[in-house]
Amino acid sequence: MTRANPSIRRQLLWMTLLVLIVINGFVAWSANLYANRAARLSYDRLLLGSVLQIAENINSLDGNIVIDLPRSAFETLAMAPSDRAFYSIIGPDQHVLSGYTDLPDIPFDDLDQVRDQGGQITPFFYNGVYRGEEVRFLGVNKQLIDSNSSSDIYIVVGQTLSARQELAKETNWFVLRFVMLFFAVTLLLLMFGIWRVLRPLQRLRKAIDERSALELKPLILPVPKEITPLVNAINRSNTQLNSTLERLKRFTSEAAHQIRTPLAGLSSQAQNALDEKDETQRQQQLSHIVECSNLLRETVNQLLNQATLAHRFQSQPLKSISLDRLTKEVCRDLVVWALQKGVEIEYSGKVEVEIDGDDFALKQMIRNIIENAVNYSSRQSVVEVSLHVEHGKSRDEVVLRVKDQGIGVSDEEKQHIFERFYRSPNSQQPGTGIGLAIAKEVAEHHHASFRLRDNTPRGLIVEVVFPPVEVTAS
Amino acid sequence: MKRLPVFFLAILTAIVIGTAVGAGSLLADKVLDKAVDNSTGSELVIYGAVDRETIKSVFSAFLERHPQIALKYREFNSLDLYQYFLEHPDERPDLMLSSAMDLQFKLVNDGYAQRYSSEHTDRLPTRSKWRDELFGYAVEPIVIAINTDLLAGAPLPQSREQLLALIRNKDHLLDEKIGLPDIKSTGIGYLTWSYDSQLSRTYERLLEAFGIHHSRLYSDTRSMLRALTRGEIFIAYNALGSYTQAWSQEHPWIVPVLPTDYTTIVLRTAFIPKASRNPAEAKTFLDFLLSDIGQQLLTEHSSLIPVSGGPGNDSGSPTLFGASHSLLRPIPLGLELLLQTDTAKRQLLFDEWDSAMPHLSK
Repeated sequence: MTRANPSIRRQLLWMTLLVLIVINGFVAWSANLYANRAARLSYDRLLLGSVLQIAENINSLDGNIVIDLPRSAFETLAMAPSDRAFYSIIGPDQHVLSGYTDLPDIPFDDLDQVRDQGGQITPFFYNGVYRGEEVRFLGVNKQLIDSNSSSDIYIVVGQTLSARQELAKETNWFVLRFVMLFFAVTLLLLMFGIWRVLRPLQRLRKAIDERSALELKPLILPVPKEITPLVNAINRSNTQLNSTLERLKRFTSEAAHQIRTPLAGLSSQAQNALDEKDETQRQQQLSHIVECSNLLRETVNQLLNQATLAHRFQSQPLKSISLDRLTKEVCRDLVVWALQKGVEIEYSGKVEVEIDGDDFALKQMIRNIIENAVNYSSRQSVVEVSLHVEHGKSRDEVVLRVKDQGIGVSDEEKQHIFERFYRSPNSQQPGTGIGLAIAKEVAEHHHASFRLRDNTPRGLIVEVVFPPVEVTAS
Repeated sequence: MKRLPVFFLAILTAIVIGTAVGAGSLLADKVLDKAVDNSTGSELVIYGAVDRETIKSVFSAFLERHPQIALKYREFNSLDLYQYFLEHPDERPDLMLSSAMDLQFKLVNDGYAQRYSSEHTDRLPTRSKWRDELFGYAVEPIVIAINTDLLAGAPLPQSREQLLALIRNKDHLLDEKIGLPDIKSTGIGYLTWSYDSQLSRTYERLLEAFGIHHSRLYSDTRSMLRALTRGEIFIAYNALGSYTQAWSQEHPWIVPVLPTDYTTIVLRTAFIPKASRNPAEAKTFLDFLLSDIGQQLLTEHSSLIPVSGGPGNDSGSPTLFGASHSLLRPIPLGLELLLQTDTAKRQLLFDEWDSAMPHLSK
């Protein structure tokens, strides 16, 4: 089993899901940060409030330090209802005046420093572990100024963290619930949106499904802008298919006609020959039959060739081939056959040309052009084949030229001679009418074009002009 | 508002009648002796500042249900209990019972208690427990006990203002006739007095009046009540309500007054020390104490007032803890209690006390 085709709907869903998860994850993460920060700030403020109230009630009286702790300081701390609290009031010589005597690692230096920088009672927060629990401490340095001396008093208040954690958890959970709701609602909306956006595609599929196999009329559907090119492409492809089909139909009927006519002639001539008593007459009729069947064979060959070429064009990639070598080969192949008809083939090429092409097809093309020239040449004449480079105004072109001295083609006929089964009305020569049509197809496949000119004094010049390529003079 | 104290007194009365009817004859010590023989049993050591006579009915009911447990109870003065606990880390009990909320709270705040929660502790109102470590099991109104012989027809004082007026009227008659708990040697005495100092507008005048009349100091409510009965004193200030009420049943001329300006309510609290060697037994006992049965026993067989308001009243004790009236002022079970344990604050209070009562420092 090969992998199933990717579904746009599923891809969109996965993508939106991914984006939503990333966004919501980020929101949840920042909510957590925010919640912790908010909880820390609010409970730090309580600690500060408590410390300030304590600090206010420490005074110097006649050189004695009087500590009268206010109840409100402890009521403030009690707003964290299930947290333990610790405090210590420390005199100038780091001797504990009241409260806990064993608070851990009181940063006296930091307290002095923040006092110096921020003035009286600048709070300094720090964390520590005391009596088996993590504790948030706040310390200040309060300078007691007496009439003749000043002394540093340190106040440290600490509280365990459960109220903070509780508040942070609560805030976080509150936000998380919103995030989850937002997630669900967004996902639903996006799913609905995706369904809506993809609906025209469904409609398009239905419309195509409902058509009969041979119906190639353009689809006319109201579709979004983004899908219009798709519909256009389908319509264009259908149009091409339609014209191909038409051509094929015409070709088939023409081919049938082209084969049927010589067959009918053959049949009647054979009948005549049967009935003919006169030996010389019969000989003549029989040789005519042979001629007719040769022509028929030629026609069938050409048709098969064309089919082969059509297949090659679709399946064979272009390869680099030497055009001059190919032309010489064809000339060599045909020279004996032409001499039998009293026609001489002359090759005069001075360049070596490499082009990307199909050698079989190109050979076929050159052969058909030369054969055509030989067929229409009179006895004792020459068909000149040449390959050269023309230096044009904007670019160089490789030109394959075939010159004959035959009867020539009138200007009116020139536009028809590449049509399939076209036969010149004043032609005496037997022919299939397919050769040049094939040549033209091959030329088009190689992006080459045909030029027709009259030869002097008479005859036709056929030129195949190839797009510019690398050329080396030989 | 006048009706509320009456209602409260009615409850107290009901409690005391219960005590008279159902008091068991078993003494905790006797039970202990019996239980020691049980070699397979476990032990439970309780230190408490609760009168042995008062709590024994609860002990015996507990032991009836758990005969395998050998219960050892040691009674202390509340301040001694605190100091003993700190000074003897090797002899820590399995359960601490005390009415000195501030000292109990300090021990818990300092991390000596272990957490415990059960359906019984969860049922306690939040203001009756702290951190699932300290649990209130009984409430204690702080009253003024008055020997009515003193009045000679004058109306019973209902508030501190009226008490001050009475002292002014009787003047010399009350010299050396006022009894106070010694705030320096008893935990509950210091707790209630310092609470008065924070709350009362009459605190200064009371202190002055007590000083002028050379008040006597007592180490506990029971000795104060005995002195009252003997006629040694006429007025006992800040006496424990439960004992006084029980005493007044036997000595009708001694009347407890719940001051109408405010009546301090103290929680009797319990906690299980971290160092407890028999925590399972301690938890069993705590649950029993807080259960409907335990609380009912407090109501019926002791003079203590249950914290839950008795069976069928899960919402706490509205008559005691109701915030709806200003009479009752429970001391909050929270960080505010740290103030009571502050040494500087304590010294300030002692200084005021000493300067008001120069006769005591002789």
